[in-house]
Amino acid sequence: MSNRQVFEALVLPHLGAAYNLARWLLRSEQAAEDAVQEASMRAFRYIETLRGDDARPWLLGIVRNTCFTMLERTRSQPQSVDFDEAEFEAALGEAQPRDTDPEMQLQKRRTRLQIDAAIRALSPPLREVIVLREFEDLDYAQIAKVVAVPIGTVMSRLARARGKLRAMLSSISLGE
Amino acid sequence: MSLDDQDLSSLIRRNATRHAAPDTLRAAIRTQIALADAGRTEPTTPPKAARRAWFTLPWPTASVSFALGLACALFVLPLVQRLDLNGPLDAELVADHVRALQLGPLIEVVSTDRHTVKPWFQGRLDYAPPVFDLAAQGFPLMGGRIEHLRGNAIAALAYARNRHVVEVFVWPSAAMSVPLRSQHKGFNVLHWADGSMQYWAVSDLERTEMERFAQLWREQAAAQ
Repeated sequence: MSNRQVFEALVLPHLGAAYNLARWLLRSEQAAEDAVQEASMRAFRYIETLRGDDARPWLLGIVRNTCFTMLERTRSQPQSVDFDEAEFEAALGEAQPRDTDPEMQLQKRRTRLQIDAAIRALSPPLREVIVLREFEDLDYAQIAKVVAVPIGTVMSRLARARGKLRAMLSSISLGE
Repeated sequence: MSLDDQDLSSLIRRNATRHAAPDTLRAAIRTQIALADAGRTEPTTPPKAARRAWFTLPWPTASVSFALGLACALFVLPLVQRLDLNGPLDAELVADHVRALQLGPLIEVVSTDRHTVKPWFQGRLDYAPPVFDLAAQGFPLMGGRIEHLRGNAIAALAYARNRHVVEVFVWPSAAMSVPLRSQHKGFNVLHWADGSMQYWAVSDLERTEMERFAQLWREQAAAQ
């Protein structure tokens, strides 16, 4: 198989996961598209390093590195906070449901917006472990490989992220 | 009432938004890879096979390639004739932009008044670049300077956008073109031409902001 065939067969199927991660880490659709495109080119260039590995965590690792490089480049605010309350409030405020929605749909929509806003308000290092764990269903070892940190760090970040989310979302679960 | 990890997990999995990759992105990446692959294997591929490969390309690839070719013919060729350019210009303009930001001078004539900046170019260039005041639209003029590009003196105008700088390189061209975007080292480069001048805007601003800038510029130019 040529490199291109390897790329199309093994890497391209994970483009959805790659885009979802990038979109969650970056602020706009365009930034996410740029990041995935850049990461794909890099993945193609280094396709030989894939060897027998699982292509999904391998690609996600390249994507998250590209995203963090982009975040650093456009860094405009300190990233020391684990959870950005202002961001959460702003995202919730933006998400005004329309009156025309039927009741059930309205409730579902509200839940979704609230959860999205809470995840979005996490700092990028916490957000990425949540996305990798809950959306991509990677295990601790795979996440550790993607993020390039020890497994213990993954676990403590996940615990911290969950603590923050739990605090913000505890009211929703009552309605479930 | 508090959620345990399991509840939280299923709450997220069931409700949070999963962003779907746009089809255009998939097509763009496949095109990019196809081009990169073609570039790499070209010397060893017999021409006949290459030609056959071209016809079997999926249509987005073929149309993108065609658009690229058209873009070259319309915009790059007139440029090559004028300045004897033989390589990609984006890289050089980005390098000029970065050097100006790092070492300076970014601005040789410091003024927010276009009636100060425009006359400053008199006697320094053999053409008169248009200078617009876009402060009301959020892009205040910072000033201008002379840049040397492949042996030619060209005008460079600097505009501010929050804490970003947009630099516009201007020199004459008979070509007409809508804004074309490219990216180099994380900088966005937007290029367009209006039949009398060509413009290359370089900045670390986001694409949409750059496009807005170009749009404002073109509106101002059209109103003159």
